[in-house]
Amino acid sequence: MSEPCDDALTSLYLFLDEEMPEAETVRIRQHLADCPPCVGHFEFESRLKRVVRERLAEEVPPDVIDRFRAALRHAGPSSS
Amino acid sequence: MAEQVDFENDAMELVPQLLSAARRMTRNHADAEDLVQETLLKGYRAYDSFEAGTNLRAWLFRILTNTFINKYRRDARRPNEVDLGDVEDFFLYRKIGSEHTAAASRSTEDLVLDGLVAADVKTAVEELPETFRIPVLLADLEGLSYKEIADILDVPIGTVMSRLHRGRKALQRALWDYAMKRGLIPEHLIDDDPVSSS
Repeated sequence: MSEPCDDALTSLYLFLDEEMPEAETVRIRQHLADCPPCVGHFEFESRLKRVVRERLAEEVPPDVIDRFRAALRHAGPSSS
Repeated sequence: MAEQVDFENDAMELVPQLLSAARRMTRNHADAEDLVQETLLKGYRAYDSFEAGTNLRAWLFRILTNTFINKYRRDARRPNEVDLGDVEDFFLYRKIGSEHTAAASRSTEDLVLDGLVAADVKTAVEELPETFRIPVLLADLEGLSYKEIADILDVPIGTVMSRLHRGRKALQRALWDYAMKRGLIPEHLIDDDPVSSS
């Protein structure tokens, strides 16, 4: 694996998490434009992140929503 | 000052997100519901200290996480005593992306990503030690920023990044195991070394 690939891979999560300064994302995008193997890896990690998020999302049972609302109303306005 | 009357409507919209994280934190439906209810009540009572216009979601997740850590956490070990094993170089992508052709790799990737069932992903996350599980939940489930997670956990951003990195790697290794158990991995991609990434 070449040095630019190592460099891109090191920054993979910073890039996908949108935690990277704009100037550096340009550098990564330029590398990805020339490197299909890295695109494959970045796309996989991005899809995996989305899959994990989707599989972890929960529906809230209506009775639980009702219970939370009742608890908040029961708490009433604070005295402060 | 934020109005408490606004709190119920704004906070109730965040309940699905709060409960999704709480279930993976407590690993238990009843505890998760109690944790979210307590979070809502604490948020409601403290709402006049919430700065209107700032991020209610990050604020409630801070309450949720701190309440969990103080009240429900069962794993009292210190972070540096928690050993995830040798996961640094584990890439799920390299395990399944090593087919002879790009098309074959892509089809295995689809098989694995589409075939991972929710129950397995939930269990894989729950099996992570809390030190790693909480940053993974806050980042990958809730989409909070490194800075927000650092504020919530009261640790430096660098610590968030390293826990997140190791937690994600450990999660990928666990997902690889579940994908194998579900028969999603073609036989010729399975080797005897559970950690090797090449």
